[in-house]
Amino acid sequence: MKKYISAVFTVVLAASLWMGCKKDSPVDEDGLLITTRAECFVASFDMLGSDHLVTNKAAVIDTTAQTINIEVKFGTDLKKIWPRFGLAQDCKLDPKITTWVDFSDLSTPREWTVISGNRQVRKTYKVFVTVGN
Amino acid sequence: MTGKFFRYTTVLAAAVMLASCSDKDYQVPEPKNELQNDAIKRSIGPNMAGLQMEFAYAIALPADKGKLVSAEVEASIAGAPETYIDNRSYYTNGSGDDIGIEVTNPSENKGNVTSVTFNKDTMASTLRYYYVPAAEARGKEVTFKFTGRASNGQTVTYNLGPFRISAMEMKLDIPVSDAGAKYFSIADMTAYNAADAAANADKIDLVYLHRTTPASFKHGLVAPAADAQYLPGVTLPPGVNRNTKMAKVNQLRDQQLSRDQFAVFVDDTDFQELDLSNGSNFALGLDKDYGVWAETADGKYRAYIFVNSVNNGAKSAVLSIKRYTMK
Repeated sequence: MKKYISAVFTVVLAASLWMGCKKDSPVDEDGLLITTRAECFVASFDMLGSDHLVTNKAAVIDTTAQTINIEVKFGTDLKKIWPRFGLAQDCKLDPKITTWVDFSDLSTPREWTVISGNRQVRKTYKVFVTVGN
Repeated sequence: MTGKFFRYTTVLAAAVMLASCSDKDYQVPEPKNELQNDAIKRSIGPNMAGLQMEFAYAIALPADKGKLVSAEVEASIAGAPETYIDNRSYYTNGSGDDIGIEVTNPSENKGNVTSVTFNKDTMASTLRYYYVPAAEARGKEVTFKFTGRASNGQTVTYNLGPFRISAMEMKLDIPVSDAGAKYFSIADMTAYNAADAAANADKIDLVYLHRTTPASFKHGLVAPAADAQYLPGVTLPPGVNRNTKMAKVNQLRDQQLSRDQFAVFVDDTDFQELDLSNGSNFALGLDKDYGVWAETADGKYRAYIFVNSVNNGAKSAVLSIKRYTMK
């Protein structure tokens, strides 16, 4: 019986040690995996209104100037827009988009910062909105 | 110690296995040798004043016990005069179609009670009951007591409910046109031309318009108080100046407004929880199957206006509305 208990104890101890020593993957404050990727750019962008896509044509993204120019349809309710970003792999956006965004002040572009997968590179993009016909 | 442990465990496992393997003989259920009944509500969606609520009421007894004599439904709130029991009994054929066979005299309404008397020698029947809530039932709960009687004197009853009658009001197929009835009143659930709008200026909440220039938004609903750029070419009648809040949506095809197959319903709760505090006062680019949530400037009404159809050539549209009174 003692042998039996001893064997079980040894196995459990070994398993605990093995699991305890396993190195955790690095995650950031949002629980997202921190990778080695340094790419940091916006790959795509569009806008949704309460009913549908509100854009007339594809957004123009300048990754050098870090600007996004987009034209919305005439009559778009600019106080209630849900922007959609497509980012380079492993990147994240700051601030997060968790609700409708007010774009009604056309003279003041909204800004978002893209953070690379390794969390070392940050690039702030300005979003310029114009109203089409 | 180990030996005892294994012995007890084995006995316990054997007991469990034995118990789980014990076979229970299936017993064919004994049918009740008496008059029986059952009822279900067949219609779905909000129960609204003026719209039929459909029920199916089944009653049957063994053939040697007699035949069906009568059936009745007592509603806790009297229905509108259109309430009735279909005098046919239905069965579903192999193609899935409901086939009705006349088994009773036409139904009669007396106060809260709708009744039929069987005129065929039948021992089993499924009747359809159509209750049309009266306007005074709006916002209240209604219950139903179904009763069946047989020739042997037996009586059975079945209670259904309560069912809440929605506080909403609804109006279907309101035509609007850029050249004619373009001034829409949520309070009256109708559209006026310019002359009538001037006479009802304090009730005009929206202006329907169709434009391809200067901006090609085609069909739109705009509050009279909206920025002039959203009302190009519109000269508002005197006194028409309300500022209605709105939110445009697409593909929210309420089944009662669209009369389409989509089992989507706008209900009282949607209006109670609707937040248009940041709503716009214009909804442009409307098309068939678009809709607009709206709240009148005085906060008295909230509404969902659905676009049933549009005609670009005639610059017109057909709208349907569900309206909820807030105060």
